[in-house]
Parts: sequence; C-alpha cells; structure tokens
Amino acid sequence: MGRPGAVIEVDRNTPPTLFHYGEGVRLEKLPLGSRVIYAPDPIPPIAHPERAIRRALAHPLEDDPLKALLRPGMRLTIAFDDLSLPLPPMAQPDVRQLVLEEVIELAAAAGVEDVHLIAANSLHRRMTEDEIRHIVGDRIFSTFHPDRLYNHDAEDPEGNVLIGTTSQGEEVTLSRRAAESDLLVYVNLTFVPMDGGHKSLATGLGSYRSVRAHHTVNTLLHSRSYMNPPDSALHHSCIRQGQLIEDTVRCFHIETSVNNHSFPAIANFMQKRETDWTPADQAAFLAVKQLTDLAPADVKRAVFHSMRAPYGLTSVQAGQVEVVHDRILETVRRQMLVEVEGQTDIVTLGIPYLGPYNVNAILNPVLVVCMGLGYLFNLYRGRPVVREGGVVILAHPCRNEFDSVQHPSYIDFYDEVLSDTLNPAEIEERYETCFAEDPWYRQLYRKSHAYHGVHPFYAWYWAAHAMQHVGDVIVVGGERETVHHLGFKCATTLEDALEMAEQTVGRYPSVTHLRLPPLFVADVR
Amino acid sequence: MSLPRDIRTVRAGWRWGGVRPASWPDPVPGIPEPASNLDWARQEPIRGLRWLVQRGLSIPFTQAMTGLLVDGEGWLREQDRPALLVSNHVSHADTPILLAALPDRARERTVVAAATDYWYDRPWLGRLVSLWLNTFPFSRTGGAQAVLHSSSQLLKSGWNLLIYAEGSRSPDGRLQPFLPGVGHLAAETRSPVVPMHVRGTHRVMPKGRRFFLPAPVEVRIGKPMSPHPGEGSRVFTQRVEDAVRELGQGTDEPRVVGSWIERWHASAPRSRASR
Repeated sequence: MGRPGAVIEVDRNTPPTLFHYGEGVRLEKLPLGSRVIYAPDPIPPIAHPERAIRRALAHPLEDDPLKALLRPGMRLTIAFDDLSLPLPPMAQPDVRQLVLEEVIELAAAAGVEDVHLIAANSLHRRMTEDEIRHIVGDRIFSTFHPDRLYNHDAEDPEGNVLIGTTSQGEEVTLSRRAAESDLLVYVNLTFVPMDGGHKSLATGLGSYRSVRAHHTVNTLLHSRSYMNPPDSALHHSCIRQGQLIEDTVRCFHIETSVNNHSFPAIANFMQKRETDWTPADQAAFLAVKQLTDLAPADVKRAVFHSMRAPYGLTSVQAGQVEVVHDRILETVRRQMLVEVEGQTDIVTLGIPYLGPYNVNAILNPVLVVCMGLGYLFNLYRGRPVVREGGVVILAHPCRNEFDSVQHPSYIDFYDEVLSDTLNPAEIEERYETCFAEDPWYRQLYRKSHAYHGVHPFYAWYWAAHAMQHVGDVIVVGGERETVHHLGFKCATTLEDALEMAEQTVGRYPSVTHLRLPPLFVADVR
Repeated sequence: MSLPRDIRTVRAGWRWGGVRPASWPDPVPGIPEPASNLDWARQEPIRGLRWLVQRGLSIPFTQAMTGLLVDGEGWLREQDRPALLVSNHVSHADTPILLAALPDRARERTVVAAATDYWYDRPWLGRLVSLWLNTFPFSRTGGAQAVLHSSSQLLKSGWNLLIYAEGSRSPDGRLQPFLPGVGHLAAETRSPVVPMHVRGTHRVMPKGRRFFLPAPVEVRIGKPMSPHPGEGSRVFTQRVEDAVRELGQGTDEPRVVGSWIERWHASAPRSRASR
C-alpha cells in the first residue's frame, strides 16, 4: 500500500523542489517554512483487469447484466472518452480498449449486427486514425474503422438531434445515432473527479447547443470547484441534461479509474518526492534538464509527447450512471485527496508540457492560462489553496506559439479578443457567438483536426474563478510580451517573483508549492 | 552551459558523499512494479536504436550468410492485427533469421518470447538480447498465469509475439510436440496464430556452436489460423503443430541432426547440460 499524500514543510535540509517548466524541468529552492504538497503514491492496480471488467459487466450496479440487454436485430452504440484523458496518454493497452473488447465480445456472442463505436470528443478536435487505434487497440480498429468507428461530429446538422430541454431551460442535443439506438453503452475513464458520470454523455456526444448551457462564465464562477462535483454548478447542469438523455435512450454506463502512475520508468524522478530520489533519479533529472535546455523545440516536444504513462486500473464499475459514478469517485478520491491545513498567501506551481487540449501539440499561451488558473487551481475541495487576494506564481516559458492545425481559433482569440479585453464575462457576451458560428472554424473542426471555434473561450472561462479569486498572477520564465498580453506579470526567477508577490500580499507571506503532476486534490480545511 | 551549475545544485541538495538527513522520511517503493520489467526495450529511443542495429547490421549479415528465402510473407503483410507467430526451433540462429524474414512493419511490432531460465539468468545477456531482438522473459518452469498475463498484455498492446511452441530447441531437428500454452494464449487473447517453419538453421548454428556458419536457409509462413468455436486449446495446439509440420514437409530437412552423441548431450537435463 502506498503512502497517502503529504504536506512537507521546507527546512534547511530539504532538497530543491522540482518544477515542471513546459517542455522542461527546473529545480528551485523554496523559502524556509514553505509548504510542498505531494500526491499520494499510486494505488496498487487490479491484478487481472479483464476479469474485473467481466465481473462488472455481469454484476452491474442497479442494472441488468449487459448480456441480458443485448439481442439480435438491435441497434447498439458504444461511445468512449477521447484522448483528452488520461494525461499523459496511457501505455497500451488502454483501459478503454480492455472494456470495449469485452463489450464487443458480448455483442458478438449475442448476435448484434448493428454496432457503432463513437469517440465522444464533443467540441474537441477529431482524433487521428493512430490516436483512435491507440485507444481502442488494433483488433477493434481493424474490425470497425472507418464506417462503424468514428469521431463524433457536433456540427453535423443531420447527425445530431435535439432531444429536449431541462427544467432549467438547458437544451440537450445528442448524436442521432446514439439517440436512435436501442442501447447506448458509454465507456468512461475518470481521471480526475470532474470527469465521468452524466458529464460524459451530456457533453461528449452533445453539440454546441447543449455544451453552451453550462460552459458559461456564470456557471464556472459558481463551481467551487469543478473538481468537486457536489459543489459544481457545471456538474449540476450536466446531471439535469444526463437525466433527460437517460429518459430518452436506454443507457448502460461503464466507468473506470486508474492510479496516478503518470510517468514511465525513464522519468521516474517526476513521479517521486524529491527526498526519495535515488542517484539514478538525480542522473535522470540532469540528463532531462540538459536535453531540454539544449534540444530544439520540435525535438523536445516529440520526446515529451511520446511518453506513455503506465497507469494501472484501480476500479471498474458498470450499471446505472449515478451509482456507478459515485462508486468510481470514491476510488478517485482515495487516489487524489490530500488534507491541507489552511490557505496560503502565495501558491507556486510548474505548468507541465501537457494539458487536456494539447495532446501532440504545443501548450499555447491561452492553454497555459487554462492549465494553471483553470485545471490546476481548481484541484481543491472546500477552499482554494491560495487565499482570496493571494498570488499565484506559474512557471512556464509561455511563448507566443500556437499549433495552427489544432488551434486555429485560439490564434485569433489571442490576437483579436485578448487585445480588446481580458474580462471573461465581457468576452463571452461580445465574441463567443461570432467564433462559435464561424463557418471556417466549423469546417476545420469537421474536416481537419481543429478544436471547435468556441473552444478557446471555454479555455479562458475555465480560469474565470481563479481570475476573480486571486490578487495577482506572476509567470516565472515567461516571454515578457506574451505574459503581459495575457494580463499577468512576468519574472525571471522564482526569487524575483516571490519578491514581486510581497507587494500584493505583504511581507513574510506563506508559500505553498503544488508539486504536480502526479495530480492531487487539496482538501483544504 | 548550465550543466556545472545543475550538478552543483543536485550535489548540494542531495548531499553527495554526505549523510542522508534524519529529517527525510525513509524512501519507500511507492511506485508499483510493472508487469514486465523490460518495457524500456519497447519504447523510444531503444526502438530506434534496435531498428538501426537490425537494418544496419543484423539483417544484411543474415542475408549474406544464408541467402535467406522467404515464402508466404504476404500472409503477414495482410495481417492487420497482432498475431502469435509460432515456429519450430532448431538453433539460436532461428530468431534473427525469422525476424529478418518478416516484412518491415511486422518486424518492428514483434516481440520474441525468450526462456527466462536461459537468457535472463545473466542480466547483461537479457538486456542485450532484449535490445537486439526485442525479447521478453517467458518462463518455462512455472508461473503460467503471470506469463499468460504479460503475453496477453503485449498482444493487446499491438505487438506480435514470436513463440517457439516446442519450449526449447529440438535436440535432433525433428519437430517436438508443442506445449499447450499456444492454444491457451490464442484462446485467451483471441489472436490469430501464424504458423512458420524455418529450415536450414541447424547448419548455420548447430546446437553447441557459438558462431554463424554460411548455409542456405528457407522460411515458410503459413495462413493465419484461429480456434474453431468450441475447439479446446489442446486440440487447437495440435492443429497448429500439424500446420507447422506441413510447412516443413517436402523439404530436404534431415530427419535427424547430428550424431547420437550430440543428441545425447543435447537432451540432457538443463542442470547437467549447463555445466
């Protein structure tokens, strides 16, 4: 059994602390008395995943066994999560592949001819064939691709149907194929507590009409945090939408969770606490540091993005959505929760090379904000780690670089919208519809591998709660012009940043470093 | 250049040559052990290095020494999902020759089951063959469930698996009875089985020899097979064995390789043979 998460106080003997720095790493000496929060060690994985999956399908929670729901002549649609999780992508075989193979095996045994598999990518980019193959495995890919295994197209006017409106007036659309199926099986991977449950179906197979109901500045300001579904207005909205979907289509939900074993053996030092570093880990750090200092950006990116995480399956549950999700969340919390006593004046964190929206692409400046002030800031339960009016210090090179294939609308968002205003509510009101309905972005989303035109807005809204909460944001090592364009301050070193932060929070501030990834959720008391 | 500064930081931070501070908690193995400890051999940059070694040295050398003839490689070109490649086994030369006989794409996605008790007794040897031939440890002496699990994981990860179903090199060149693990693995992973037969390697590297000798070699690849519905693993294994035997028929393969003395030594129990 691994150790639980820990909060360590920095003293004279504490070794330097690892900071991720985009496609690079740094060691930083934190001030004496600072706190460093570490994730729990990886939970031991289930020894025989296939057996556990078969057992879950045969004995689902508050539902009939999947076998009993399958019959010849039926229309079966199987949807699964896309490549935005887990991060880094999982080493093969992906748990979704293991689950899908068992589901398809049952369907084959039952003589179900009409089977479609849909990647529930919502407004994310279409996955490439190799990316789909990586998730589902060769056997499924060669059997079903391309006519019966494909990406969801949220902008296909014929392929999506409006199935109703919730009691709160939220429209709900769904893939037509899914809506007209006799059975909809969803295969989910809950990587962090915000994933899974009704949110998967309601957003994954929805369109802009349904996603815009909850991806709003107002909802996100009332989601404190969206990493804790009971306190999240975003999730409450998704639940209403999901319940409407369940009333329309017969759903069978399969949810999985993995441990936080996020790095392959070669990058073990990133996984470990610094006091656990062996000489081999220290040597690996030095090698990676030199590589990332000297190598061209393309080489670094290729190396980092080729990393595959050896996650282990920690739980698999099947049956009725809500009870399945609750059970999975217990395991996810066991893996992620760390008790933290009190808030802090300053939070420091290193932004890694990868977020949910830049698999095989650069983390552009808008996504840096989305990662730092969105996902990582919101990894809390109760209260944020940083106090209201406190300072967040991010470490990232933050260059004005974009992937023009994956993020075309991000480029225009950065150049045109952020030049005008940084206020999320104002941005939402004045620009969102224009980008969301732009025919060129729509075309790129449908036919290329681009994120939807509205996506950079959501990335920005994701940070709205943090922007409202904190007094200042300082980016260490960032490109000055780019950082200022985002509305933040820039510092060359961590020491400079801490000194600058004192102007906002006062002398002798308390400092807490979030040492992630591996990810954790701070349970702040 | 930041290397000297980085080294100084690490040296000071982790007290090189000093005493571990008492305030540091005892290190614990917080990271679970992976199912196979040779994952590194199947990742970059090792895969790239192996490609270079195989394409630059191993395959040209093999072809020059054996004039390698391959029949039926089209079956593997058409194979679009991972398969169990099952071959007879006469010599240590079989593996590099069989790998050379595979189409490029199949070779780059093939791992070779190598006897744990033979190849992985000495760690340096295990690492070397893993680097060169992409082998993984395959226990012949027990732990069937663990072997099945790791093999199944490899197949599901998109790797072909080359297995010598006789369990060891044939002492006399004749096909030995196949062990039932092949059928079991095929049934468990639902992977197709591609029968293969290699002929002539007993001349290239006879049992007991350490070096390659020039001699003609032919590899025949058969049609992929899958278990029939309801077919037991032993019955399927027998069918695979028959298919491999059939591929080897009609050749001038000697029925017996070497003298009875060589066969006598070769068939000795492993503990005695290794002395």
